[in-house]
Amino acid sequence: MLKRLYRWLDLRIGVGEIVEKELTGYLLPRNINEWYSLGSVLLVIFALQVITGMLLMIYYVPDADKAFKSVTFIMNEVPYGWLIRLCHAVGSNMMVAVLILHMLSTLLMGSYKAPRELNWVTGFTLLALVQGISLTGYLAPWSQLSFWATTVATNSASAVPVVGPYLVEFLRGGKLVGPPTLGRFFALHAAVLPVVIAAVIGAHLFLLKRTGISAPPFGREGTANPFEAQQYHYQGHPGGIPFFPNYVLQDLTSISIYFAVFLAVVFFWPGMPFTPDAFVPADPFKTPAHIKPEWYFLANYQTLKIFPSELLGLSVQAAAMTFLALLPFIDRSPERHPLKRPVFLTLVIAGILLWIALSVWGHLS
Amino acid sequence: MIRKNTLAILVLASFAFLKPALAAPVEQPETVCIQCHGTLPDRLGAPVNLWRGSIHADNGISCNGCHGGDPKDAANAMTPQRGFLGAPKEKDIPAFCGRCHPGVYKDYLSSAHGRALGAGGPTCVTCHSNHQVVKASLALINEKSCTRCHSFDRARAIRDAMQQTEGYIDNISRRIADFQVSGVDTEKMAKSLFSVRNRFHTLFHDVDVARVKGESAAINKELGKLDAALKEIERSHEKRRVAGGIAVGFMVLLAVLFHLMKKSYD
Repeated sequence: MLKRLYRWLDLRIGVGEIVEKELTGYLLPRNINEWYSLGSVLLVIFALQVITGMLLMIYYVPDADKAFKSVTFIMNEVPYGWLIRLCHAVGSNMMVAVLILHMLSTLLMGSYKAPRELNWVTGFTLLALVQGISLTGYLAPWSQLSFWATTVATNSASAVPVVGPYLVEFLRGGKLVGPPTLGRFFALHAAVLPVVIAAVIGAHLFLLKRTGISAPPFGREGTANPFEAQQYHYQGHPGGIPFFPNYVLQDLTSISIYFAVFLAVVFFWPGMPFTPDAFVPADPFKTPAHIKPEWYFLANYQTLKIFPSELLGLSVQAAAMTFLALLPFIDRSPERHPLKRPVFLTLVIAGILLWIALSVWGHLS
Repeated sequence: MIRKNTLAILVLASFAFLKPALAAPVEQPETVCIQCHGTLPDRLGAPVNLWRGSIHADNGISCNGCHGGDPKDAANAMTPQRGFLGAPKEKDIPAFCGRCHPGVYKDYLSSAHGRALGAGGPTCVTCHSNHQVVKASLALINEKSCTRCHSFDRARAIRDAMQQTEGYIDNISRRIADFQVSGVDTEKMAKSLFSVRNRFHTLFHDVDVARVKGESAAINKELGKLDAALKEIERSHEKRRVAGGIAVGFMVLLAVLFHLMKKSYD
């Protein structure tokens, strides 16, 4: 039956050709490793965020008077509403975590190097967009946590010289965080950013298909034909392993492991994405004692605090982000093995340690 | 010397930039009452130290909160024109405290203790002490205090009846708080507990054993309803965890399976 359907489709639209080109005949480097499957994991996470987000939208009301109550209703009255909301909230944290791992593996294996600069730039753009969608989603439940975290986050824009105060007002839709802020953040979160993210993911995958996948600089003997920047050519892997079924099974393994961890958090550590302030309705007249951003913004938050002026802190962050975004254009040596790039490796490790230290400091202070 | 100071200023100035990270909580400025009386000996200074260890001090209620007067003007702090009241006579003590605690005042007046006011009966400070005011709790009903005036039997019966209820209220309150910070809609339960707790608190100044026992029993029944509602939520959360455990196990199994399938292709 399935075979007949396949033959019927093949006769009309040439399914066999697509399968041959994109799946069984799409060859990957023989030494490809598990880290390469994180991209697929991220795709699944994004899809799950979109689906759970759509389901939440059925009951969620983006109105400052009703938002908190509607979220409480979802958590307590809607059948499996708690599960959908927890998946969405935990999923956003996991998305950032997996995204960071995906970028770290790209860094350490030097996959961002020529001819894949654009893959890196689009990936970096995705990191910024995911942070943006997390921040805008944070306001949605209109809790004390939402309200004050957004107040602090939007306030940091005031450090920008000259236009700072106007920028803050533009972001908030008023002098203070209030109903207009919820309106614009919700529109960004549920309509603008998902579409932009989907488009950039599309570009990221398009670039991946056009340049061909990079071979890791270690492991079994490579299969890539070396890249020479004379003219465009697809970096194929003759003699490599087929994407289907070999690497699809690796993708499925990683996705299953991800789900095991994800569900463990959802069911056994449901408080992970929340602090107690997340369950108190927003109150502009009552500042909670400890306002902290999400873990992935703690380092930025601490940076703003340790510099004598916010502008300096903001500039340092902007410089660090720009440096990372443009890394493939700065680091031009073709060597990709991390152990043969001691200066680079030291910088990466120092950078990670600095980030962790700032985050811990930010968490404790 | 000057150099040392310059250095200190420079060091401190650099700390000033770090202010947001190091900012200490702002302390309430001391009132002139404390500034002056704090240094006085004996009867005039002792209340300040006693007050420091009181529930009033913990809640930011200073001398002028009870005694009136102007806490900002040392010269006129104790003039009646600025509302200074001084110390009340013994039979005026309950009314003095009752200005802020009207409910308790009413409960006290209608109790045997209150009816004996002025005839050797206890006032607020007999059990709660003056200045070093002790927070209301069942610990105040103890043999040492009560036997100053009468035998402890009746008081013990009252305390025993209330102790159980208090423990029950604490237990339910803690469970509601735990659920509240995990997203459970506890608003109705919290409101209901609030009214039960208020009802319970009216018993604190009652010394009628039968009434305390009867009311405690009624309150326990109310608490039982809350307990049952909480147990229901606990059961459903337990079910969720079992389902979650199965789901996680299934995913681990899938991961192993996919991994083995992949191995077979290598």
